[in-house]
Amino acid sequence: MSELVLEVRNLSLAYGATLAVKSISFEAFEDEILAIVGPNGAGKSTLLEAVAGLHMAREGSIAFKGRSLTGTSVFRRRLMGIVLVPQDENIFPGMTVRENLEMGAFRTRRGNVKQKLQYVFDLFPRLKERERQMANTLSGGERRMLAIGMGVTGEAQLYLIDEPSVGLAPRIVTKVLESLKTLQRDTARPIVVAEQNTKVLHVAQRLLGMEAGERRFFKSVGSLSQERLKELYLGLCEREREA
Amino acid sequence: MEILVRGLVNGVIMAGILGIPVMGIAVIYGMTGIINFAIGSIGVFSAYITWYFMDRNVLLAILLGLSCGFGLGYLIQVLLLTPVFERRKGDLNLFFLITNSLGLIFVGLTRVIFPRPTIRLDLPRLGSLTLLGVSLTGMRLFAVLFVVGCLLLLWLVETRTRVGKSWRATSQNLRLAKVVGINTGQAFAVASGIGCMLGSLGAILWGSLYNLTLTTGFQLTFTGYIIAVVGGIGNIIGGMVAALIMGMVISFGGYGFAGAWQSVVLYGIAMVVLVLAPKGILGSERSV
Repeated sequence: MSELVLEVRNLSLAYGATLAVKSISFEAFEDEILAIVGPNGAGKSTLLEAVAGLHMAREGSIAFKGRSLTGTSVFRRRLMGIVLVPQDENIFPGMTVRENLEMGAFRTRRGNVKQKLQYVFDLFPRLKERERQMANTLSGGERRMLAIGMGVTGEAQLYLIDEPSVGLAPRIVTKVLESLKTLQRDTARPIVVAEQNTKVLHVAQRLLGMEAGERRFFKSVGSLSQERLKELYLGLCEREREA
Repeated sequence: MEILVRGLVNGVIMAGILGIPVMGIAVIYGMTGIINFAIGSIGVFSAYITWYFMDRNVLLAILLGLSCGFGLGYLIQVLLLTPVFERRKGDLNLFFLITNSLGLIFVGLTRVIFPRPTIRLDLPRLGSLTLLGVSLTGMRLFAVLFVVGCLLLLWLVETRTRVGKSWRATSQNLRLAKVVGINTGQAFAVASGIGCMLGSLGAILWGSLYNLTLTTGFQLTFTGYIIAVVGGIGNIIGGMVAALIMGMVISFGGYGFAGAWQSVVLYGIAMVVLVLAPKGILGSERSV
């Protein structure tokens, strides 16, 4: 069994009086892509942001490589190697593509920055073409690539990527999700990705199904038939529609 | 013709002097989103320190005053403003009250430590220069050159250096800046330090041209604030453009209408601009 990187235990998160995440437990190991799936409002983003330190836990705990993260700031968690790619407002609009990537690499050892930038440009050649362009002039797909690229230039022990495909054209969705696979293979770091698109089934090893802040299932993709997976996945959306 | 030239030159110089506290307010607001109404009083406090040590060594006294301004700005941000900001994001009323109270505290401290209600700083004249038939003392010229130099330096730091880029990043998207591992608390503190240092320089220059009293600080702050808003708050270039316009009004106003009408005309213009363009002349998007 590979090494345990992230361990979330009975975590509850709230916005004021509203519980957004209700007693969720899961863990992520070295060498895996774990997809958190579920409809809008399931609490996926809140959960990822809590791991990055943007929300305080109401109850429960988060441990990273055996160390409790309670009371650890966003900044400290980033220094420990927890890299979040947020879903929205995930670029610096008034900076060039290259400057954005440099900011993503702000805590990367100086000697490695060049190589990291090159890696991003190989992963997303489009960004190389747009290198000197202001980030707020990019298309939606390019922005998403830039946001992921900013995560990739960081020296991560754990990637948290929030809905990389939302709002993108189908062809680009495939490309973006495939890039996660490449990233995982090349870095051997775990990726926890929140996603609604069913294409994530092709890249993830395990699925955490969430709905209305609660855990519905936590299963290994390999152990299930594609049909059963789709059933589980679509079940989440069906229940939402009935509600 | 000579009046025109003299008016223009004086206007530019007035703009330089007004521009320093404006830049201070803009630097702090651009980074932190807080308008610090205490920078004038902190500036006057620092200017009193400069005044106190003037007899020994003028240059050292000025440096001491400026360091005091920077240090106070830095500490206030770290110990007070950032912790409050983390809990009560964007509560402008709260920061209005807190920074004004701070300003009053520094007025009080100045009074306690330096029991002199009015001072004048006799800065060395640094020689004088005749430009287009107008004679200028070195200090006035210095104010203009300093503003231009500051803008240039800020632009270079923010576009060429790693730290400067991280400041831009912090001002554009605070949450993401934290997420990528920028020490945003430190960026806030440095911005606050630089802003209060500029406030101090503004007060020192003011004190060399006019008298400094305990409440000059609030006059500096509010004039600076209104000019900054007219230019587009947080937009440093906009603030400088507004300072230039105001400087010209003051300069040419001296010929056209009596001095007593100056503030009526000046703030009348400010109000008209704000009614027509609430975001200021160049808009409140941060630039530089």
